[in-house]
Amino acid sequence: MALSTHTTPSGFLLPSIHSAPPFFTEQPNQSTHAHLTEKWIHLILTYARHKRLFVLRVEDAEVPGGEWDEILRNERINRRILPQYLSSLMAIMVAKNLAVYEPSKQTRAVLLYWRLPEEWADVLHSWATATGQLNTILTFYEISDPPIQSPLSGIPIPLLRRAITILSRSNRAQIIGVADGEGVRFFVG
Amino acid sequence: MGLSQSAPKITAHDRAILDLKLQRDKLKQYQKKIQVVLDREHEIAKAHLATGQKDRAVIALRRRKYQQSLLLKTDSQLENLEQLVSTIEFSLVEVSVLHGLKQGNEVLKEIHREMSIESVEKLMDETQEAREYQREIGDLLANRLTHDEEDSVQAELLALQGEALGQAEPKVRLDLPSPPRSLPLVSEEAQQVLQETKRERVPLPG
Repeated sequence: MALSTHTTPSGFLLPSIHSAPPFFTEQPNQSTHAHLTEKWIHLILTYARHKRLFVLRVEDAEVPGGEWDEILRNERINRRILPQYLSSLMAIMVAKNLAVYEPSKQTRAVLLYWRLPEEWADVLHSWATATGQLNTILTFYEISDPPIQSPLSGIPIPLLRRAITILSRSNRAQIIGVADGEGVRFFVG
Repeated sequence: MGLSQSAPKITAHDRAILDLKLQRDKLKQYQKKIQVVLDREHEIAKAHLATGQKDRAVIALRRRKYQQSLLLKTDSQLENLEQLVSTIEFSLVEVSVLHGLKQGNEVLKEIHREMSIESVEKLMDETQEAREYQREIGDLLANRLTHDEEDSVQAELLALQGEALGQAEPKVRLDLPSPPRSLPLVSEEAQQVLQETKRERVPLPG
């Protein structure tokens, strides 16, 4: 069977390599392994961006029915990525600063950086500017779950916190803490 | 450390606003929770009906009704909170507007202080003096010339003016209506006008 691209029901275009059985197993040859790892990481990040997924768990390779099935499995060739392989991919991504273990001190789940925290910081600041929310106090909940869809809808709080920390370093944001929780205020900067 | 200096200080106002907003968020989350419960009770009632347990279905629906009333109550509370938040934020805007007006007023006063009427008068006097002085110097210098020389200077000036007019005209003509060419023509017209007005005035008293 010739390898071809495939469009998933969610409209994501899978690369042709996704139809190659060896893609789903760890290759003994080192250069092949490195090459496929590169492909996998790229695939994971583009898919995450496509579906706005932020978290990848080893569990996603173990149990079917999750959000990641479309890329972690290929029913057409009856293949799926083994949890062990996914786990090693995650470790490489963390090492390359394309993801981070979240919560830390475990290696079962990662927070994906399909935008780096620095890029998120920019997105966040331009959103606040565009919606006229400079100099007003915003809660984290308000940013991650705004009444109007924004590029920040659904952003995990840890990632949001990182982005805000970056902004506060350049004086473009200020974190305000009270007993009940936290808020943030953006400045022109 | 040093960076936080230029960021505005977190005041009690800020904390109060944040508190309010956090309360609002909690209410929103609570509403979400109730909505989930509502849907669940609906499912339960359906399931009971399907198995023929009508009384249990009624109980589920009653619970659902109660949750619905809670949802309504939280709605009005949410409205209150949001109104309060908006009012506070608007007042803050008003405060900053007032502050801006105050500052503008100060600046204006400052400028006026520098520009007191006496100093302006003094300045104008000085300018006048300087002008007169200049005129005196001019007179002194001009007086050294004889009348003949003065006449020839004037004639030269007239010739120059005539030349300038003659040269400038073709260019001006291109797109402007032609102005009166020479002074005598104007004075003639003026005289005619004068004569006409005189002529007209005569019959009136008679």
